[in-house]
Amino acid sequence: MSWIKRFLDKILLLDLFAGLGITFRHLLKKKVTVQYPEERMEPAHRFRGMFRLDEERCIKCTLCARDCPIDIIYIDWHQEVNPETEKKEKLLDRFDIDIQRCMFCGLCEEACPTNPKSIWLTSKTYELASYERWQNLYVDKAELEDWRVRPAYTDEEIV
Amino acid sequence: MGDFFGETLYVYAVVPFIKIIAAIVVVLTIIAYTTFAERKILGFLQVRMGPNRVGPWGLLQPIADVAKLLGKEDVIPNRAVKWAYVLAPCLVVGPALLILSVIPFGPPSSKGVASSWFITDVNVGLLLVVAIASIGVYGLLLGGWASNNKFSMMGGLRAAAQMISYEVPQGFSLVVPLLMAGTLSLVGIVEAQLTQGRWFIFGFFPFGLLAFFIYFVAGVAESNRNPFDLPEAESELVAGFHTEYSGMRFALFFLGEYANMIVISAVAVTMFLGGWLRPFPSVEWLSFLDLAFLPAGLAGLLWFLIKLLAFLFVYIWFRGTFPRYRFDQLMDLGWKWLIPASVLAVVATSLWKVVLL
Amino acid sequence: MVEVDSSDLSRDTLFGVEEMEINFGPQHPATHGVLRLKLKVDGERIVDCYPVIGYLHRGTEKLFELHPFFQNVPHTDRLDYVAAATNNLAYVGAVEKLLGIVVPPRASYIRTLLSELQRVSSHLLWLATHAIDIGAMTPFFYTFREREIILDLFEEYCGARLTLNCMRPGGQPYDLPVGWVERCAEFVGGFPEKIDEYEGLLTENRIWKKRTVGIGILSPEMALDYAVTGPMLRGSGIGLDVRKAMPYEMYDQMDFDVPVFYNCDTYDRYLVRMEEMRQSTRIVQQCLEELPEGPLMAKRPRVLKAPKEGDVYHAVEAPKGEIGFYIVGNGTPNPHRCRVRPPSFYNIQVLPEMVVGGLIADLIAVIGTTDVVLGEVDR
Repeated sequence: MSWIKRFLDKILLLDLFAGLGITFRHLLKKKVTVQYPEERMEPAHRFRGMFRLDEERCIKCTLCARDCPIDIIYIDWHQEVNPETEKKEKLLDRFDIDIQRCMFCGLCEEACPTNPKSIWLTSKTYELASYERWQNLYVDKAELEDWRVRPAYTDEEIV
Repeated sequence: MGDFFGETLYVYAVVPFIKIIAAIVVVLTIIAYTTFAERKILGFLQVRMGPNRVGPWGLLQPIADVAKLLGKEDVIPNRAVKWAYVLAPCLVVGPALLILSVIPFGPPSSKGVASSWFITDVNVGLLLVVAIASIGVYGLLLGGWASNNKFSMMGGLRAAAQMISYEVPQGFSLVVPLLMAGTLSLVGIVEAQLTQGRWFIFGFFPFGLLAFFIYFVAGVAESNRNPFDLPEAESELVAGFHTEYSGMRFALFFLGEYANMIVISAVAVTMFLGGWLRPFPSVEWLSFLDLAFLPAGLAGLLWFLIKLLAFLFVYIWFRGTFPRYRFDQLMDLGWKWLIPASVLAVVATSLWKVVLL
Repeated sequence: MVEVDSSDLSRDTLFGVEEMEINFGPQHPATHGVLRLKLKVDGERIVDCYPVIGYLHRGTEKLFELHPFFQNVPHTDRLDYVAAATNNLAYVGAVEKLLGIVVPPRASYIRTLLSELQRVSSHLLWLATHAIDIGAMTPFFYTFREREIILDLFEEYCGARLTLNCMRPGGQPYDLPVGWVERCAEFVGGFPEKIDEYEGLLTENRIWKKRTVGIGILSPEMALDYAVTGPMLRGSGIGLDVRKAMPYEMYDQMDFDVPVFYNCDTYDRYLVRMEEMRQSTRIVQQCLEELPEGPLMAKRPRVLKAPKEGDVYHAVEAPKGEIGFYIVGNGTPNPHRCRVRPPSFYNIQVLPEMVVGGLIADLIAVIGTTDVVLGEVDR
C-alpha cells in the first residue's frame, strides 16, 4: 500500500507542512541573539586578542621577532652598564608591532622563553577598530605597555 | 435642487471620500507595519530577533525606513524612457489600492450605504476585482522595459509572464464560492455565507478547500513572494525589474507588492473565510464570539482584521520556510497543475450543485 | 572550456538569435568568494562556461619557502579558511613524514577529534550557503547556531575561531582545557537531532527536490578523469575516502562508514554530506571516550632541519576533498618547495561539464554543491 501513501503524500503536501511545522516550533524557542553593546560575548581564556608587553620581564632575546611568520615585530636593543648595579644589561630601544598585518597566530607568545611570558595575547580584546588607519595600528613600545584594553564604545576597562 | 446639495451629495460624495481617505491611510499603515512584522517574524522563525533598536521593540522602524528612502537621490537612468519610468510604480500601487473600494470590511448597516463598513457595493464586485487586478501587470512590464537595462527587461518579462499565468487559476478558483453564493456582489457573497451558516471554505467539501488552496497559491505567485519570487531574487543573475529604481520609487514598488498581498488576502477572507462573520456563524452557543458589546459592526471589522493578519502571517511563514522554484518549474506548476485542478473544482462544484438542487 | 557548435543556434526567426556573453563576476552573492565565470547564454540556457580564477592569489607557496617549517602553519590556515584544522593536519603530517617524527597517541587522538569537528563545521557552512542560494533562508540561521558552539569549542582549545593554528610538527601545543571534553560530549550528544531538523526542512521537501534532483550530473568516469575527490566523487558512486584508503592519525582504529550514493546529481551530494556529518559525530564520540593520557609533543630537535634530499606527499580528507602537501627538503630549516594539492581547484574543473545545457538557476545550485572555497583554489 506504499503507493497509496506516496500518492497521498504528494497530494496532501505533507512534506511542505512538516517544514512549516519545524519553522513554527522555532518561533517559540529562545533566541540566540546577543544584544551588543549591552551584552558582550566574553572570549575564552586562551583567546588570542591584542598584545600586551611587559618590559621588565622581557630579556630582549628577539626570539619573538625571529619566529613571527610575517616579520612584523621590530626590536632594537643596546647594552649599557647600569650605574646602580654595575652590571651590563640590555635596554629596549624600540619594540614596534605592525598590527595592520598581524594575524594573531600566537607564535611570538609561544617563542617567548620567560615565565610568565613577557608578550602575551590573551588580553581578551577583539574590538580593535579605529577611525583612521594610522591610529592604533602601528603600536610602539609605550603604547604596548599602556594599552588600555577597553571596547571603544564604553569607558570601562577590561584588564 | 436643494436635495442634490443635501442628502445626495452627502451620501454619494462626501462620505465615500472620507471612507476612501480612511481606508488608504489604514492600509498604508498596515503595509508599513507589515514590512516591520515581516522582518520581526522572519527573525523569530530564524531564532534571532528582528529589528529592536528603533523605538520600543523596534516599532518605529518603518518610520526610519521611510525617512531613509525619502532622503535618497532621485536617479533616472540616462536613456530611460522617462514617462514610463515614472509611471511604472504608480501602475503597481494604484490597482491594488483601487480594489479596496469594493471589499467589505464590516457588515452593512440598516441605514444605507453611508454608514456601512465598505466604500461601495457594486453588484458585479467580483468581476471588478479580477479585472482591476490584471492591470497590475502593466506596471512591472513598464518598469522593466523603461529602465534601459537588458537584465531588468528580462526580469520584467519573467515577472509579467508569471503574473499572467497565475491569473487564470486565481479567477477559476474564485468561481467556486461564486457558485455557492449565486451573486457577484461581494457583500452578497458574505451574506450568503451567513444565510448558509458556514464559511465557503467548508462548503461542498473538499472542493471549497481545494479552491481556497488554489486561490492562495496563485495569490502568492501573483504577488511575487517566496516560493515564487524568482523575478526579484537577489542571488539570480537577472536582478529583477526594479534594479534601476532607488529611493522612493523603489519603495513604491515594494509598497505595491505588499498592497497586492493585502488585497489578495482581503479577497480570500471575503470569499472563503466569511468576511466579517465570526467562525461558525450559525452555531448558537458560539454567539458570544459576535462581540455584540462593541458598537455598530465594529466586531465585524475586528474579525476581518484578525483573519487578514493571519493571512499575512502565513505569507511571511512561507517566505521563511521554502526554497524557491525555478522559473520553468513555476510555469509548469501554474499551467499543468493549478489550472486543471481549478477547472476540476469548478466542474465538480457545478455538478454537485445541479445534483443537489 | 567546453566547445559547443554554435551553428545549431542559428534558427531562422524574424529577429535573429545570438548568444549573450555574461560575466558572472567576481563580485556576486552566489559565487562564494571571488570566482569569475564567463558565461555564454542563449536566452537562459548556458552554452559555454569558462571559469577565471586568480583573484585571491596571495603567493602562499612562495611564502612557505621563506620560513621554517613550524612557522608555516598559520599560512596553511588560510588556504581553505572554512576548514582550517584539516589544512593544518595535512601540512603537519607531511612535515612529520619528511622528518620521520612519530606523534604520541594522545596528540593523535586530539588531532582526529579536531579535524572531525572541523568537518562538521564546514559542512554546516556548506548547507547554509547552498540552501540560501536556492532560496530557503532559515537553514542558514539554524546551522550557524550550531556552528557557534563548535567555534566556541575551538576557541577554548586553541584561542582562535577560524584561523586555528592548532597543530605543530611533532604534536599538539596545548592540552585540552578543563571541562572541554564534557562540553564537546554534550554538543555531539545533541547534534543528530539538529541534523534531523535540517533534513526535515529540506530532504523531503518537493521544491528542494525539484531544484536539485537531476541537476549537475557528473558521471563517475568524468569525475575520475578530472581527479575530483571528496563528496563530489562519493555522490557519483565511487567510494574513495582518504581516511579509509590511506589512513593517517587514528582513523584506522575508528569505526565509521563512508556514505556513497549513485545518482550523480546535486541531491545525492547533499545526502552524502548530511550523512558525513552524522558519521563525524560518531568518530568524535569514539575519540572522546578513548582519549588516552600521555605526552603531547614528540621528542624532536629544536630546529627542524629537513634531510638533504627527500620529498614526501601526504594527503588528508578535508571536508571539500583530498588536500595534500608535497614537500621537498634541501637540508635547511625552510622547505625547498611546498606544493599544495587543493581539492576545490580540481573540483572547479568539472563545473563547465556540469552546467552546460542547463539554466542559470541551475548554475547557482551547482556552484553550491561544488562547495568551492576560493582561498585554496587561488592560494
